[in-house]
Amino acid sequence: MQVMPEKRNTRQYMSTVRREPQEMTAEHLGQLLAEVAKTRSRVAFSELFRHFAPRLQSFATRQFGNEQTAMDLVQETMTNVWHKAHLFSPEKGSPTTWIFTIARNIRFDILRKNRHRQNDVSAEDLWPVLSEEMSDSDEDFALDTRILLQEIGEYYLQLPDAQREVVEQIYIEGKSQQEVSDTLGIPLGTVKSRTRLALQKLRELISEQN
Amino acid sequence: MSKIKFHPSEELLVNYVSGQLNAALAVVVGTHIDMCPRCRAVVHDIEVHLATRELHQTSPVAEPQLTAMLESILSSEAPAMPERPALQEHVVLESKSFKVPPSLGRHAARMGPWSKMPGGLWRSPLELSAEERMYLIYMQENAKLPEHTHRGNEATLVIDGVFHDEHDEYRDGDFIFLDSDQHHTPHTADESCLTLAFLDAPLHFTSGVARLLNPFSSLFFR
Repeated sequence: MQVMPEKRNTRQYMSTVRREPQEMTAEHLGQLLAEVAKTRSRVAFSELFRHFAPRLQSFATRQFGNEQTAMDLVQETMTNVWHKAHLFSPEKGSPTTWIFTIARNIRFDILRKNRHRQNDVSAEDLWPVLSEEMSDSDEDFALDTRILLQEIGEYYLQLPDAQREVVEQIYIEGKSQQEVSDTLGIPLGTVKSRTRLALQKLRELISEQN
Repeated sequence: MSKIKFHPSEELLVNYVSGQLNAALAVVVGTHIDMCPRCRAVVHDIEVHLATRELHQTSPVAEPQLTAMLESILSSEAPAMPERPALQEHVVLESKSFKVPPSLGRHAARMGPWSKMPGGLWRSPLELSAEERMYLIYMQENAKLPEHTHRGNEATLVIDGVFHDEHDEYRDGDFIFLDSDQHHTPHTADESCLTLAFLDAPLHFTSGVARLLNPFSSLFFR
């Protein structure tokens, strides 16, 4: 009496599992994308949407841990699929892979919008997926010539003696500023200011060469 | 094109594909991928693998929400593509012009001015944001970067030319990733070299008069 219904439940469960996520082949998904691209087929898009939205939702929830942000990612991703289906090309990969890369880019942009401002890099700059002109480049990158030689020592030798002395002891002999102060018998504050001035001077000398 | 010997690790490529890398490092890795057919194939495999894995599970979404979203998408306007800086095919240093792969060329408009550094080096900062910087570094013939360690990771990609360190020789497309424990002294011989470098912490010079540079290595690599 008790065993029977259990068995039936199991069978029912298995049959729903089998029916639910019907195995969508890449070919079939690709055909749907092609229909969306060619005829703006709402029926084809709805089928794509019903297949991908719950998967994207699952992916995005894992990424953001926030259901609303996750929904935003699903909506933005599928909006791009609806409008840019013509950019999908089966030679480059499967529909699932293509849609994943769109979602990856949208995730990147959503995360940055929270942190950064305008003039920021967008994911399309890093991984162009939806750019109309995609360039695959595999050439050699060549050319060169020569420029002038410069030595660190040259700059260093141009420092005034008092500054050079301090810099020498700190950065070549490895003394602390206090030790330099003791050795030279000058106040610690003077050591600090000479160091600061010396570094400033070196910066200027190097920038002048620009 | 000569054969590329040094590639990003698979872990780096996976993080590149999943969008987890610092954006500046992603540009360096992406530029390598442009130059490297082998890594392009690996990246493709990773994309397929991640897509399958990440889009395998489903989350239940309430039917009314799904329908509402579908309706809203079907009646939406095409999303505007954000305006982006134009792709540059070359970067120029004085009278020299270097052809660069598109992953770098897409960001070349962000390049700062070249500045000359001691030892026959030139560098130009390329900043994506305050925390995302890289450098184009040009080493003329017989130039030498002082021996240094880094507090973080360093990724170097050879764009054009050859450089050497105590371990090996690196040519067009070679990608070298060093962590904070690794020392090296890059130098050039009778060929010059243009590299793209990412550092996630300032350099720390470890030898000789180059130690002078430490207090303002920020001037060089910031």
